Amino acid sequence: MRILRIVQLALEGLRRTPLRVALTWLGVTIASGALVSMVAFALGIQRSAETPFRALGLVNHIQVKPEEKDEGKNPDAAVLDDDALRRIEALPGVVVAYPDFRVSDVKLTCGQQTKKVMALGLPRQISLFEMAQEADLVGDYFTPGEAPEAILSKRLAAELGFESPDDAVGAKVALEASGLSPEQEATFAFQRKRFTVTVVGIYSIPHPMPGPISRAVLLPVDLMKQIPGIRLAPALERLKAGGSATAAGYEKATVRVEHYRDLQRVEKAVKEMGFRTRTVLSRLDKMRAFFVFIDVLLAAVGTVALVVAGLGIINTLLMSVLERYQEIGIYKAIGASDGDLAVLFLTEAGVIGLLGGLGGLALGRSVSWLLEIGVNTYARSQGVATDLQVFAFPLWLLVAAVAFSAVISVLAGVYPAIRAARVDPIRALRRE
Amino acid sequence: MNSANDGEVFIETRKLTRQYQVGSAKVQALDGIDLNVRRREFLAVLGVSGSGKSTLLHLLGGLDTPTSGSVCVDGRDLASLNAYQRTLYRRTGVGFVFQSYYLVPSLTAEENISLALTFQGTFGQQRRRQAAEAIRRVGLTHRAGHRPSQLSGGEQQRVALARAIVHAPALLLADEPTGNLDEATAAEVIALLSRTHRDLGTTVVMVTHNREMAARVADRIVRLRDGRLVDEEAAAP
Repeated sequence: MRILRIVQLALEGLRRTPLRVALTWLGVTIASGALVSMVAFALGIQRSAETPFRALGLVNHIQVKPEEKDEGKNPDAAVLDDDALRRIEALPGVVVAYPDFRVSDVKLTCGQQTKKVMALGLPRQISLFEMAQEADLVGDYFTPGEAPEAILSKRLAAELGFESPDDAVGAKVALEASGLSPEQEATFAFQRKRFTVTVVGIYSIPHPMPGPISRAVLLPVDLMKQIPGIRLAPALERLKAGGSATAAGYEKATVRVEHYRDLQRVEKAVKEMGFRTRTVLSRLDKMRAFFVFIDVLLAAVGTVALVVAGLGIINTLLMSVLERYQEIGIYKAIGASDGDLAVLFLTEAGVIGLLGGLGGLALGRSVSWLLEIGVNTYARSQGVATDLQVFAFPLWLLVAAVAFSAVISVLAGVYPAIRAARVDPIRALRRE
Repeated sequence: MNSANDGEVFIETRKLTRQYQVGSAKVQALDGIDLNVRRREFLAVLGVSGSGKSTLLHLLGGLDTPTSGSVCVDGRDLASLNAYQRTLYRRTGVGFVFQSYYLVPSLTAEENISLALTFQGTFGQQRRRQAAEAIRRVGLTHRAGHRPSQLSGGEQQRVALARAIVHAPALLLADEPTGNLDEATAAEVIALLSRTHRDLGTTVVMVTHNREMAARVADRIVRLRDGRLVDEEAAAP
């Protein structure tokens, strides 16, 4: 309560020289606005650079491979089989672990049309992935269970004779594949299999991703396992290493974690099981180091601005101490302690800093908003279709900027506060 | 008023000395003052400027510390208190009235008066009641919302007096309270000071160079010259 009254007194003090206080506040506002928008810019370009990876869910991926065989040709190396995948899936934070299947010569037949396409295996939970949320899909993703289903690319559906994606959804398509499958320890047999699959969805790929995926069929992993020839390569490798062809696991697998924070822990656990791992994040880390550098550089420039504004606060408050010298003497004569006067001036500094920080937020936000409009107008004139987000304002930045501005200002208030606390009341009250 | 403690020594100074260093020269502001003031007494200290009157007042009010000697108020040796203890003593035990009023220009009369309560930590109902009582006592209730610049000199000094007594201190120190006022206004303020002293039973030490004024209200008059007490007389009641 007592302190509140002193704070009130401090606000009263600020009201007395409105122009000077406003100019000081403006200095803090500009500095803090510069700091906010510069850090927001650094964060923004970092986010722009990382967004594609995130959108594809790649930052949540761990690529798993069995230990390199030609190093020591170890037949006892851990096998990446269903059992291993189940154990990985049981790790906390893991959403799904599935073998990576990619076959380039699957024949799809619909009516008169037969096309040789690439087939990719995906888990039936795919609808939960970020990639799925970003992709443009007509129809649905896979249903749980074992039903033979397929998702076609829009281009492939057109090639198969469907007039529109809506026509394709629900249609039955014949799928034929052939290849060598391991039969016994060192024997392979040629197999040809035909499946009838139901088209459940048609996807189209966002513009920046070309390549075979724009003309592919997505199949559930359980169906892919039945494709002949899918285990040929790992079985051969296993055989060369001195093991049994039928005991071979998968060439590689993908592990998805709930959140990229889980990534390192899960990756470590998978490594301990005896597998090799690779993540996009480890490559992103290099990029991040660069962004940290930019962040620090821009934050340093902003901090310099704020320190200069802090000097303004020191100046304003020292002036105030001198002008109110006699008043400080009165306060002391009627019972204000040195501490009360320090609090009084620190509060004035803190209030300028706090309001300056808030003003800086508003200023930084508006300036970056204008810049963003400018950037996007220019980008559109250059033929870039997407809206560019050049600045990022996460909540922590807003809070930190205001707090930082207040802290710098209070620090700037320390010297004037000490001067005020040290005023000798007798000198201050000496008769004019 | 309960007068059981009347006559008891409230202030006692012994060989009270205060020197200032001005450049290389030493200034002897007070030189071995022995002075007793009884509880509820109204003491006037006469002297020309430079005689050490204000220094004496500052020492009694705990604003300053003696170079040597002792100053005891209500049994407490002020010289032995640290800075914060002296602050507490000023906050609760002393009220100051100055020649130049020393009101805070940006605060209204009422806010100036309750300023002392702010540092005491008195709030809410009690704060409002005490402030209203003090302002009523000096007859300025109708001017409570005015700023010092809107008040006459006499009114400002009455506000200053209200500020000095709002927390009911045991000791009121007045430093030339009428020095800036014309004779008629000065008489009013002095009368008010006297009435306050009588009604509240406050011990008053008033410094002035106006002997006639002092004689009208003080119980006793002492005279300072060059930092020494030169004579003492009982004033007319």
